[in-house]
Amino acid sequence: MSSPQFTLYAHIGPNPWKVVFLLEELGLTYKLAHVDTSKNEHKEAPYVLLNPNGRMPTLVDHHNNDFAIWESGAIMLYLIEKYDTQKKLSFEKFESEALAKQYLMFQMSGQGPYFGQAVWFEVYHPEKVPSASDRYMAEIKRIVTVLNTILEGRNWLVEDKCSYADLSFIPWMWLFDWPVMKMSNWREVPEYKNVVRWYDAMEAMECVKKTKEIRATEFKMPSS
Amino acid sequence: MASTLANRTKLITRHLTTAAKSIMSDAKHPITLYTAQTPNGVKVSILLEELGLPYNVRTISFDKTEQKEPWFLEINPNGRIPALTDSSFDNGKGINLMESGCILQYLVETYDKDHKISYPHGTAEYWDVQQWVYFQNAGVGPMQGQANHFYRYAPEKIPYGINRYQTETARLYGVLNTRLEQQAKKGSGFLVGDKLTIADITTYGWVRSAGWAGIDIENFPALKKWEELLDEREGFKKGRDVPTPSRIKEMAKDEEAAKREAAKASAWIMKKD
Ligand SMILES: N[C@@H](CCC(=O)N[C@@H](CS)C(=O)NCC(=O)O)C(=O)O
Ligand SMILES: N[C@@H](CCC(=O)N[C@@H](CS)C(=O)NCC(=O)O)C(=O)O
Repeated sequence: MSSPQFTLYAHIGPNPWKVVFLLEELGLTYKLAHVDTSKNEHKEAPYVLLNPNGRMPTLVDHHNNDFAIWESGAIMLYLIEKYDTQKKLSFEKFESEALAKQYLMFQMSGQGPYFGQAVWFEVYHPEKVPSASDRYMAEIKRIVTVLNTILEGRNWLVEDKCSYADLSFIPWMWLFDWPVMKMSNWREVPEYKNVVRWYDAMEAMECVKKTKEIRATEFKMPSS
Repeated sequence: MASTLANRTKLITRHLTTAAKSIMSDAKHPITLYTAQTPNGVKVSILLEELGLPYNVRTISFDKTEQKEPWFLEINPNGRIPALTDSSFDNGKGINLMESGCILQYLVETYDKDHKISYPHGTAEYWDVQQWVYFQNAGVGPMQGQANHFYRYAPEKIPYGINRYQTETARLYGVLNTRLEQQAKKGSGFLVGDKLTIADITTYGWVRSAGWAGIDIENFPALKKWEELLDEREGFKKGRDVPTPSRIKEMAKDEEAAKREAAKASAWIMKKD
């Protein structure tokens, strides 16, 4: 068996798994390299030589002179433009691609950072800071209602097809099903109903199921 | 919350209000920028100036919460600035775009065909630009924005909050500073390659506002030098003063003016939506 085409530097946090969805769905070969944050590996050479920001993920393409790329949004665009030639998860039309990129940016700039702060203040930070918890919980609920509005009367964000833009939102949405976030009743909230339908449709996809299995077996899942 | 949410959902089916229509009919140019004097707003006006593209400016008033008005949510369902419409898009079908980073990507892809300030698709520099654009939009912007919140706007002083976000912003500035040192060794004053790109443009407004977040730019000499280089460009001079003159640097230095401005901003920021 030949060696895999890509190495994906990963950890358990949400961002690497957006990339795994794509690798799986596009049938690309890869190996996962665990970056041990408890040993500070992400802040030291050799990792920071690949990714000066010291965050995960980073992707290395061994079929392209070991080209290294970081920031999950940029990695997704790289895989899509270079390897989704069949347009399985992307679009022929320039117009549709412009919109897909817009939603990907919204995921990167709007969803990711604020979901990250919410989970920090709700779950990980040892002290309770109610005003900060409230601020970020309110913001992530606002973002989900924005998505709900966008999804009114449609199945997918762009055209009538699941794309990389839709999939990019999934790993952070997992937080809503995580009991410690106390959001478990979110499926019953009428204002989230389009998001629930959209999220469940993606959760049923093979690439998402497979990715979740890999994440659960390769990394110890945080207990709830 | 429920009533706001119900309202939002109703918007979907609602058509453009008279407000939006009147703007459209006044519009002289295909491109309209909806903006305010903020780091995310000026990115787009700077790029439009650098590309020499004509555009209409529609100022969005945060004091009046215009960013959450139905006609604006039609354009940007996220209720934030900047947003951009381009009526010439797709043979006159038009497009509404949100997210400053994406607006920059769209504008260079559509209007910088001879790569004055961009690199062709698929080149290593092209991907490098994407990385740094995301680095700003997913990292510097959100984190510096949180530093602003806890340092300037939050009604209650929470030292942990201030420290958390100033530390992270400073870390991100360190990454930029190291990058620019490496670029300088290659003879470039820019974040990517050897010319101005949207990687620089997206980052500039935030670095210019460092003092507002309580970050001392003197600790990042390469970044400071880069900022000064960009300060001198005509497109930056014009673009950063849209829709009103940028006063963030003066304000960050003047304690009294800063307090007044922060109190004003806090009034709309702390409004519940
Ligand atoms: N990721 C977004 C952030 C936009 C953003 O934060 N806009 C601020 C002004 S800089 C805003 O419109 N705030 C209004 C509000 O939150 O109501 C972008 O880059 O466009
Ligand atoms: N709703 C916002 C209002 C303030 C706001 O919009 N701030 C902008 C800067 S003007 C921000 O932090 N943007 C973050 C980003 O651009 O990622 C909040 O409460 O933080």
